[in-house]
Amino acid sequence: MKVSIERSTLMKAMSRAQSVVERRNTIPILANVLIEAEGDKIAFRATDLDIEVLDTAPAVVSQAGATTVGAHTLHEIVRKLPEGAMVELSDDGTAGRLEISAGRSHFSLATLPKEDFPVMASSEYECNFSVKASVLKRLLDKAKFAISTEETRYYLNGIYMHAAEGAQGKALRCVATDGHRLAQVDAPLPAGAETLPGVIVPRKTVGEVMKLLDDDEAAIAVSVSETKVRFATPEVTLTSKVIDGSFPDYTRVIPQGNNKRLEVDAAEFARAVDRVSTVSSERSRAVKLALDEDRLVLSVNAPDSGAADEELAVAYADEPLEIGFNAKYLLEIAGQVDRENAVFMFNSSGDPTLMREGNDDSAVYVVMPMRV
Amino acid sequence: MNAFDPNISQRQPIRQLDDAAANRIAAGEVVERPASAVKELVENALDAGARRIDVTYADGGKTLIRVSDDGHGIPAGELPLALARHATSKIDGSDLLNIRSFGFRGEALPSLGAVGRLTITSRYGKDEAARIAVNGGAIGAVEPAALTRGTVVELRDLFHATPARLKFLRTDRAEAQAISDVIKRLAMAEPSVGFTLRDVSGGGEGALKFRADPENGDMFDALAGRLRTILGADFIDNALPIDAEREGLILTGYAALPTYSRGAAVAQFLFVNGRPVRDKLLIGALRGAYADFLSRDRHPAVALFLACDPERVDVNVHPAKAEVRFREPGLARGLIVSTLKHALAEAGHRASTTVSTATLGAFRAETRGHYQMDLASRATLSYRQPDRPQSGFAEFAPSARVEPVHSAEETSPEGVEALPLGAARAQLHENYIVAQTDDGMILVDAHAAHERLVYEKLKRQMAENGVAAQVLLIPEIVELGADDRAAILNAADSLAPLGLTIEPFGGNAVCVRETPAILGEVNATAMIHDILDELSDLGQTQTVKDRIEAILSRVACHGSVRTGRRMSGPEMNALLREMEATPHSGQCNHGRPTYVKLKMTDIERLFGRS
Ligand SMILES: Nc1ncnc2c1ncn2[C@@H]1O[C@H](COP(=O)(O)OP(=O)(O)OP(=O)(O)O)[C@@H](O)[C@H]1O
Ligand SMILES: [Mg+2]
Repeated sequence: MKVSIERSTLMKAMSRAQSVVERRNTIPILANVLIEAEGDKIAFRATDLDIEVLDTAPAVVSQAGATTVGAHTLHEIVRKLPEGAMVELSDDGTAGRLEISAGRSHFSLATLPKEDFPVMASSEYECNFSVKASVLKRLLDKAKFAISTEETRYYLNGIYMHAAEGAQGKALRCVATDGHRLAQVDAPLPAGAETLPGVIVPRKTVGEVMKLLDDDEAAIAVSVSETKVRFATPEVTLTSKVIDGSFPDYTRVIPQGNNKRLEVDAAEFARAVDRVSTVSSERSRAVKLALDEDRLVLSVNAPDSGAADEELAVAYADEPLEIGFNAKYLLEIAGQVDRENAVFMFNSSGDPTLMREGNDDSAVYVVMPMRV
Repeated sequence: MNAFDPNISQRQPIRQLDDAAANRIAAGEVVERPASAVKELVENALDAGARRIDVTYADGGKTLIRVSDDGHGIPAGELPLALARHATSKIDGSDLLNIRSFGFRGEALPSLGAVGRLTITSRYGKDEAARIAVNGGAIGAVEPAALTRGTVVELRDLFHATPARLKFLRTDRAEAQAISDVIKRLAMAEPSVGFTLRDVSGGGEGALKFRADPENGDMFDALAGRLRTILGADFIDNALPIDAEREGLILTGYAALPTYSRGAAVAQFLFVNGRPVRDKLLIGALRGAYADFLSRDRHPAVALFLACDPERVDVNVHPAKAEVRFREPGLARGLIVSTLKHALAEAGHRASTTVSTATLGAFRAETRGHYQMDLASRATLSYRQPDRPQSGFAEFAPSARVEPVHSAEETSPEGVEALPLGAARAQLHENYIVAQTDDGMILVDAHAAHERLVYEKLKRQMAENGVAAQVLLIPEIVELGADDRAAILNAADSLAPLGLTIEPFGGNAVCVRETPAILGEVNATAMIHDILDELSDLGQTQTVKDRIEAILSRVACHGSVRTGRRMSGPEMNALLREMEATPHSGQCNHGRPTYVKLKMTDIERLFGRS
């Protein structure tokens, strides 16, 4: 193998590939990236056995070939090379070394045989569709905070992506919950996604996919099977196993009849929650919301450290209500609101509360109260 | 019917048993084994005001027991009486509730005389010394003898007249061990008396098995000296002096830190009015006092003395006087539990010195350090398979690795090194935090520490207004057996204030609606099973409060940072600060230390710099 490639092109391709490689690996080959050069392209493939990233970049291939080399080391080397340098990668296939040259720098890295590299088995994808990067980004971004980290409920450790009947017709829907709160985010259903089987996309995959979505206008090709999901841009293909489990029937827990309506400026609300909760050092800080006509009093009472309250002018015209929440949960859902006011729909102090942005039903959040 | 069943069909006339037979039967209650004979004889010596007591035995006490004292002795004329049943100089019989001596029944010597060859030699004041012997219940005549002072009681061939009993004795070694145990307990009760114990099995001088010189100084110093002799300096260095009084009940002695606990109840020495006892009530109280700090398989080490007006405790309830009955058992229990809890709380931050000494020892053992790992182990290391199965989304097992705190300034505000737990510097093996203090370093078991902090918080919330509960979006359905289901539902009312709301569900299932908010996301199924275990272990023996605390401690485990989670610098420092601010955080819920400290001098010693 003998390839010549521009440093920044190499850098970009390498950084996406190496990011799935686990830093601490007990299986040496998994610390490596598989480099394949053919035609006028070079491909980098990295995996943690659950996610595989394949990144291609244009290159001058003077001799086709393939090898594997430590992903983090190669990435570090490329990162430290000067901007604009031409990098030459070569491997004679016998010495077990990858030679890297750029200007007057020269590196020689130990390789492992390409045959040892675990390439993810290919799969029949029964559903293929295309979605704009900005749309996919919004779906994942607004749902991911609610993903559970409790390993025993592994089926909640990801985002449930499926086709659903939304408020504005058929929707591509992402749902995540940790059992204390839930996020449900909809986008118009792209053509081809009607047959989408519901899949649970693991937390780590969500994070890796987000990194591919910097170009808002790019079209992302999504392919889904029962066991795998694939996200592809023209250069990068990310394939991931999906979580083998069934996502609970979340529709039953989204309250329909909550009729006490609070409208509040989300940023102002979040700042107030943050301020009053300063007095408590608990991980599960409880903030009490006391609602009365157009008035909201937020208070925290931590017997061993102190108390705080703050009053906010809000729109509220229903019966007075007192309800407690984990401050962190309130901050996180308020953080999802970016354009309009936050609208909370309450029922009672023991029931689920619904939150959305203005009257926009395409993203709804449910948060369970805390009883103090 | 079998040949050994009591035969009641052939009735015999009622007969009065002769003295020898009656004494042998009574002896069965008083003298079970050589050690009980030793106990009776040493108690007699103590009652006689002895300052020195020398005990000698051969063959585990089976062939010879001899106790010599320098007490006031027995007048020659009273020697036959000493051997008569119910003859005692210690009480006049008018007030069985006011007993201030070890002996009060006048049973020990006649019992011993019934089951062995007993000789008493004694000199009373300036009188001539005299001797009397009794063999299998037959009392001989009083004869003149030679002895400078005190009394020597010699018991040979114990149980020779009752071979059945002889058969039940354990090995010589085990019986000798029991004798030494008896001596040690009595020696603790009387620090100002000197003791020696010799094994003369082979004849001649024999071997000195135990020696405690008379301690002087005030009561506490004397006791500390005696305990140091008997239990070792380790015990005293790790023990808290106890001195408390409540309504005329006085508790003194030493209680070891939970980190000095034992795997069996071998170091629990309890005394009531100077009398060694093994009383269930007291042992239960001890358990209650340490419950917060020790798991059920660890046992506290203590030497505690309860004293009160003799009228408030009945010592005449057990043939070997090992148990007592308090007039106000609640008061005795309360005094022990609250005194010890209080003392342990105050000592919360004193990690057992044995722990750090042991650590130092372990460090030193490493002097042949392998800087170069050999090839074989290198290979096994790098090709080791992940500990967890490859399916699903399990990450690879974490390797041994240091997580450095990126920069000390960024994460450790100025001056924190002066604080007791210092500034976090790194995390090892994704659990242990290394912190630097002004005068050394601290190693914290983050998992154990966090568990303790959660437990303390739960307790505090509990005391204030109940534990805050997080309502679950999707209630968790937990399948159980019928018995377990009934047991947990039975406890539901007492679990509700702990933030755990459980309701019946169809079939054998229960539904968990709310969990303690402080725990964050929890695995409800695992928690319910843990609580069930705890409930069945506790049985009905504990008070409601003890039960709740035991359950809280189980619940706390579920909210803890699991070993294997990487912590950021500020997170680690926050944990250290919280530990400093939280009482009892020096031990985890299982009595292990949550941190150990190495002083600069210790570290320097490791490198041979001092
Ligand atoms: N070592 C001794 N020094 C002086 N007097 C003794 C000694 N041993 C026994 N006596 C006298 O002999 C009496 C009988 O002793 P014995 O042990 O049989 O009964 P006790 O000690 O009075 O009661 P108990 O049966 O509860 O031990 C004692 O009351 C005491 O007066
Ligand atoms: Mg006696």
